Amino acid sequence: MFRAPHLLLTGMLIASTATAQAQVRLKPDTTQGGSTQGGTERSTAEGGAINPPLSPRNANYTIDASLEPATRTITGRELITWHNISTKTATELQFHLYWNAWRDNRSTWMREASLAANRNPASPREQDWGRIDVTSIALTDSTPADLTPLKHVIAPDDGNPDDQTVMAVPLPQPIAPGVGLTIEVKWTAHVPRTFSRTGAIGNYFFIAQWFPKLGVLQDDGWNCHQFHFSTEFFSDYGVYDVRLTVPATWVVGATGVERPDGPHHFYQEDVHDFAWTTSPDYIERHAGFEHPSLPHVDMRLLLQPEHADQAERHFTATRTALKYYGEWYGAYPYGHITIIDPAYQSGAGGMEYPTLFTAGTRWWIAKGVTTPEGVTVHEAGHQFWYGIVGNNEFEDAWMDEGFNTFSTARAVSQVFDPSFYAQRYFGGFVPYVFRDIVLTRETDGNGLRSYRAVAKSDDQSTPSYRYFPGSGGGITYSKTALWLNTMERWLGWPTLQRIMSTHFARWRFKHPKPHDFFDIVTEVAGRDLGWYFDQVSRGSNVFDYGVQDLKSEPDGDQFRTTVVVRRYGEAIFPVDVRATFRNGETVTEHWSGRDRWKLYVYDRAAKVLSAQVDPERVLLLDVNTTNNSRTLEPKAHAAATRWSHTWWVWLEDVLLSYGFFV
Amino acid sequence: MTWFAAWRDGIRRVNRAPAILAGVWVLTVLVSLPLVLGLRGMIEQHLGSSLAADSAVSGVNSDWWQEFSDQATGLGVTFKPTIIGFGAVLDNLSAFLDNDSRPVVIVGAASAYIVLWIFLAGGIIDRYARDRATRAHGFFAASGVFFFRFLRLAAVMWAVYAVLFGYVHAWLFGTVFPAMTRDVTVERTAFFERVGLYLVFGLLVAACNLIFDYAKVRAVVEDRRSMIGAIQSAIGFIRRNGGAAIALYLADFFLFLGVVAVYALVAPGASTGVLYTWLGFAIGQLYILARLWVKLTFWASETALFQGRLAHAGYVAAPKPAWPESPSAEAISRP
Repeated sequence: MFRAPHLLLTGMLIASTATAQAQVRLKPDTTQGGSTQGGTERSTAEGGAINPPLSPRNANYTIDASLEPATRTITGRELITWHNISTKTATELQFHLYWNAWRDNRSTWMREASLAANRNPASPREQDWGRIDVTSIALTDSTPADLTPLKHVIAPDDGNPDDQTVMAVPLPQPIAPGVGLTIEVKWTAHVPRTFSRTGAIGNYFFIAQWFPKLGVLQDDGWNCHQFHFSTEFFSDYGVYDVRLTVPATWVVGATGVERPDGPHHFYQEDVHDFAWTTSPDYIERHAGFEHPSLPHVDMRLLLQPEHADQAERHFTATRTALKYYGEWYGAYPYGHITIIDPAYQSGAGGMEYPTLFTAGTRWWIAKGVTTPEGVTVHEAGHQFWYGIVGNNEFEDAWMDEGFNTFSTARAVSQVFDPSFYAQRYFGGFVPYVFRDIVLTRETDGNGLRSYRAVAKSDDQSTPSYRYFPGSGGGITYSKTALWLNTMERWLGWPTLQRIMSTHFARWRFKHPKPHDFFDIVTEVAGRDLGWYFDQVSRGSNVFDYGVQDLKSEPDGDQFRTTVVVRRYGEAIFPVDVRATFRNGETVTEHWSGRDRWKLYVYDRAAKVLSAQVDPERVLLLDVNTTNNSRTLEPKAHAAATRWSHTWWVWLEDVLLSYGFFV
Repeated sequence: MTWFAAWRDGIRRVNRAPAILAGVWVLTVLVSLPLVLGLRGMIEQHLGSSLAADSAVSGVNSDWWQEFSDQATGLGVTFKPTIIGFGAVLDNLSAFLDNDSRPVVIVGAASAYIVLWIFLAGGIIDRYARDRATRAHGFFAASGVFFFRFLRLAAVMWAVYAVLFGYVHAWLFGTVFPAMTRDVTVERTAFFERVGLYLVFGLLVAACNLIFDYAKVRAVVEDRRSMIGAIQSAIGFIRRNGGAAIALYLADFFLFLGVVAVYALVAPGASTGVLYTWLGFAIGQLYILARLWVKLTFWASETALFQGRLAHAGYVAAPKPAWPESPSAEAISRP
């Protein structure tokens, strides 16, 4: 295992001057199975610069910002160089002002948070609210113009007049397709106490979605959604050249590579966002990712001192993502990655940003549990699904979160197996591992319970920001992972791997829509699977097959066995039906699953023992698997006796706890 | 009498009355049995004739368990993986300290259990105070004599514990802890602050428990009718014998910790096979027996300490030792 090439001493508390100098040569994507483009492409990545460009680079930001920790104020100036790469002429610009979601409790974000919690969340203290105020905006190219008086807020999603998360600015001259402009924006912002993984606690700052940011101009107009409680982000690729001013001794981690020409000058090409963090308490570790056919990646880890002994677990998990995602989908092109271990209570854990992500661990962790590995693999994996393939997270969040949940479960099962169920006690501080309960990729990794809880809550194809708050997790993350894993078990991993790697190659550094993926499935699988996506993506029906009846009665010198299988759910999927006889004989039928029920009759020398529908459990979306089988030798009584006796001891212990009060 | 002598004497008194230990174990089993049968029925019904039962018999069928939990109501919601082995103990200790709520059906059973203990408490303490066999009629007569007195005492205890768990706990862990840790960015710090609050809360609960224990002891030993008076007398005794009373309580508490620690080492997991299932259940019952033994040791040792310090001698002199005279009279009359 590759060890850190150099370690900065914990107590030095100096800003990193590490630069990624690795020469990165990207693999041709065709080696990833099914890739259809880029076969001869070569890029180099050095110091955040990538040559030749991997993306359109039509939204480029040069930012100069300073943080005043005492007042939690950020003062910034940005120069945006934007090119209209759509077919639509732009008559205005639209900007995200995300932090205005936390100006007060009337924003759409706060209203949705209240709806999700089914109560009014406690109002933060006055100083804990956040805000961003644009103080000036001006065109700075050949015909300079001050646009400040023209700026106004809009609410394109819900018309909420109190929501100030989208700002529109009319342009004095329309910007035709292919034409660009340069805009200077100045702003001040108050850093909130953490909302939605953004903000500050004590002297820990995690700063994301923090600058006035252009929406995405598409052929049908601006795509610039308000900030919603349950959705994430969408923006164009470009170059980020950012200079940050923070207290001298504070450590800074950010998107991109820190350049040696000044304090905290970060630079990165071909990314669609920029996030950063600073704190005097970080300790820094470095390691590398090496692979025989994938490019080298420098890994920089900013770690909380109380987690100093967990550095290698973070690196191992990150390597796992880089290796398996790289082998399955395509290479990570940036040559460096920054792993942030967020401070306790910062609420910043488990979030992805280009070339940087936040993991999340606990001071007291247990062996056999994938903390911090699970979240680390997941967020590192987002570099591929979100970072490189940049779908619209407002509308089609499942295209990155779902793909990534599936991939995380698959990668974790390769390396961190077995992992066990654990529960945290005493205020959540003390973990206890139940080594009798092994977590499985199919059920636990994909999140079947999460999906089952909200299975009918929303069609997946509903724009993500319009999901009922609270149901997004099950539909976006889990349902997608389950239907992808079902495809893997149905079509085989080689086919699914070709589908996903083709999608990755074709849509890297672009903005795919769902139909783009579905088209690739049809193309690669060689058959139209629209009926499948009608159900799993464009609908909310549930799958539930079961064995309704099983009989085996003497009939002459044989036994007549009847098996009735039933489709209890509305959704349809072809399934196998297997009957097992007492002499060991098995018969497997293939049922289209379309009818409500089907009868199978067998005349055999032996009595039937059991019948199962979907015996190989291909259909992982089946919400009720207990009814998938029947046996004529049921062991329910024995199982119930066994587990009720286990529960008995627990119950007696509960009674004794109450008995304390006598 | 020193606290250590009282502790040893208490253990001896409990060990010399195994019928009481057996009786409270049977009580625990009987109170829990209807719920166990209810849960067994729910599990059996859910599994039906599914093959899922086969793997549930031979190990943990996590998929089935999750389906069961997702569909469970009432008693079924408590059937979680956390019931397995030592996790069950941690689950309850944590729930106790964090004041987690339990389903109504569990609280109902626990309430019945408490009432039964209240009934038996008089007979148990009377038995330990006399330090001789009282036979069933003597035991239950004493239980009956003190039942309504202890019900009145229970009303006071309920009020005190309700304040402790309803208000003090909510204040400590719902107001003080969040305020203390609001800007804490080091989890270890927050953990130790929580441990500190657990200690504060635990001390308050233990102090009340100590007082109510001695109130019961004094009520029985001195045949007191006023429970308010018993509480006042208990406080007086603890004030005059604070060191010994606290040391004894701590010794009993460490006995409890010892039982829990041993169970942590031997607690059965989700063992497979019929033999191991029953062996696991037997180990679990031994643990329950040990817990009950510790609870009885609290009462017996506190009774021994009180009698050893003769706090009652001044006003129960020379009674005629005829039942149902108080145990103190009997003790004094003993040659």
